[in-house]
Amino acid sequence: MRTIEEINDKIRRRQAVVWTVEELKARVIDMGVSQAAKVVDVVTTGTFEPMEASGAIINLGHTDPPIKIRQCRLDGVAAYTGFGAVDLYLGASQIADYNRGGESVDSDEPRERGGGHVIADLVAGKSVQLQALGQVTDCYPRASFETLINKDTINQFYLFNPRNLYQNFIVGVNGGDRPLHTYLGPLHPRLGNAVYSNAGGLSPLMNDPDLQVLGIGSRIFLGGGVGYIAWEGTQHFPLQKRLPNRTPIGPAATVALIGDAKQMSSRWVRGCYFKGYGSSLMLGAGAPLPVLNEEVVVHCAVQDKDLAAPVVDFSIPRRVRPTFGLVSYAQLKSGRIKIDGQSVRTAPLSSLFLSRQAAMELKQWIEQGKFELTAAIAPLPQDRTFIPQDLWGSQVNIS
Amino acid sequence: MKKRVTLTFPKQTVHMPITYRLAKEFNVAANIIRAQVAPNQIGKLVLELSGDIDQLDEALDWLRSQGIGVSLASREILIDDDICVHCGLCTGVCPTEALTLDPKTYRLNFLRSRCIVCEQCIPTCPVQAISTNL
Repeated sequence: MRTIEEINDKIRRRQAVVWTVEELKARVIDMGVSQAAKVVDVVTTGTFEPMEASGAIINLGHTDPPIKIRQCRLDGVAAYTGFGAVDLYLGASQIADYNRGGESVDSDEPRERGGGHVIADLVAGKSVQLQALGQVTDCYPRASFETLINKDTINQFYLFNPRNLYQNFIVGVNGGDRPLHTYLGPLHPRLGNAVYSNAGGLSPLMNDPDLQVLGIGSRIFLGGGVGYIAWEGTQHFPLQKRLPNRTPIGPAATVALIGDAKQMSSRWVRGCYFKGYGSSLMLGAGAPLPVLNEEVVVHCAVQDKDLAAPVVDFSIPRRVRPTFGLVSYAQLKSGRIKIDGQSVRTAPLSSLFLSRQAAMELKQWIEQGKFELTAAIAPLPQDRTFIPQDLWGSQVNIS
Repeated sequence: MKKRVTLTFPKQTVHMPITYRLAKEFNVAANIIRAQVAPNQIGKLVLELSGDIDQLDEALDWLRSQGIGVSLASREILIDDDICVHCGLCTGVCPTEALTLDPKTYRLNFLRSRCIVCEQCIPTCPVQAISTNL
């Protein structure tokens, strides 16, 4: 139907027809798949949700005399230092391990801050305190170093996120009798509330269920800047059970994302904290889907009523938790679902408002000729299984 | 008209059937928003009073004459729109549905008149956009 090169040519001439995925879903109802596929060149998707499997790579620049950093804290949050002398990797879910300033150091309650907040502060242009201890060697004689850094005083500052853009997820509820503090926020006892975290029909990988368009090397909108799909994500599980429309009925494909954090903006990169659980990073991301053939439109046309997620009971803290069956994203977004005959209020954890804004922002970039598409240079694997981890020797093999 | 008040009862007044007297003598309907009352302790009551404006004023004067502290500045939930990301997590724990997501725009709506200031939204907010003013 059309190639990525033809689409890019239209983008450069500012003649590309770009719709957000919501616009596409609405227009397919009016004009049908074939007609829509003839008109539209690119469909933009978006999401804005906590993505705790995110982190920032930082290179500080060398001190004089030089230091080989082996322990480092950024605003009280430990960063991993086991690379080169002044390379750091700061994870979004690493929590601050001591109280700063005048607060009690012995306080049981950790500061409600973590790596996600430090990353967000750096993106916002704020200064962050750095404390480092070095291993003294002939090459790197310095033993310790303290300074303030911001994004303009460090060499590299890019996000490298091992698992983002989950293709579908779960709905959390609490069937027990005490409140639970979870990565989905507070879950009230006796099915007091339900929380879902995927943006459903807006979400990038829900609209490319078999990963036929997106792949390694796909250029995306990440945190207000340009990013790329770098690899399959951790826990990538494309073999999850799927509906006839090919969308999965639970957590499935994931991708690793990379992008220059110096270009990002604080509107799209926000630290967050879940009480009793820990910190994370809320991140806006959007993927463009080039309409190479009608099938792309068929997959993008999928409606929230045709997407489903399992309702999972968090009161049983095991690897496999009991579920209450599937609910559709149309039900979830209506604000109420029925579980065992009981009406339960639902709340999203992804911001549907900002997910939509991410898709709109990417659409504008493409329309203005600021963002061209890339073809995937390698496909994402379609055959990964989901391996559990058990104690050595605990597996029983009866074959 | 409606007026939201916070009443503070000295120990000796806790036994008085306040809402009954407000209804019977002043024709004022008292909707209890929050209450913390126990024998022999200072009590707190947050009420939404509705009635005729003159009778409301009379009722408040009478309450004061009984030694009950009347404060018109009641605690309120504040949402910082610059910080809020409209994730909607708070809407699931709000018992009165004062916090909802607009079904069209998915922006957070806060209907102050429905809020009972239970404060469950405050620790729920992952970006700490919600606070109280007192």
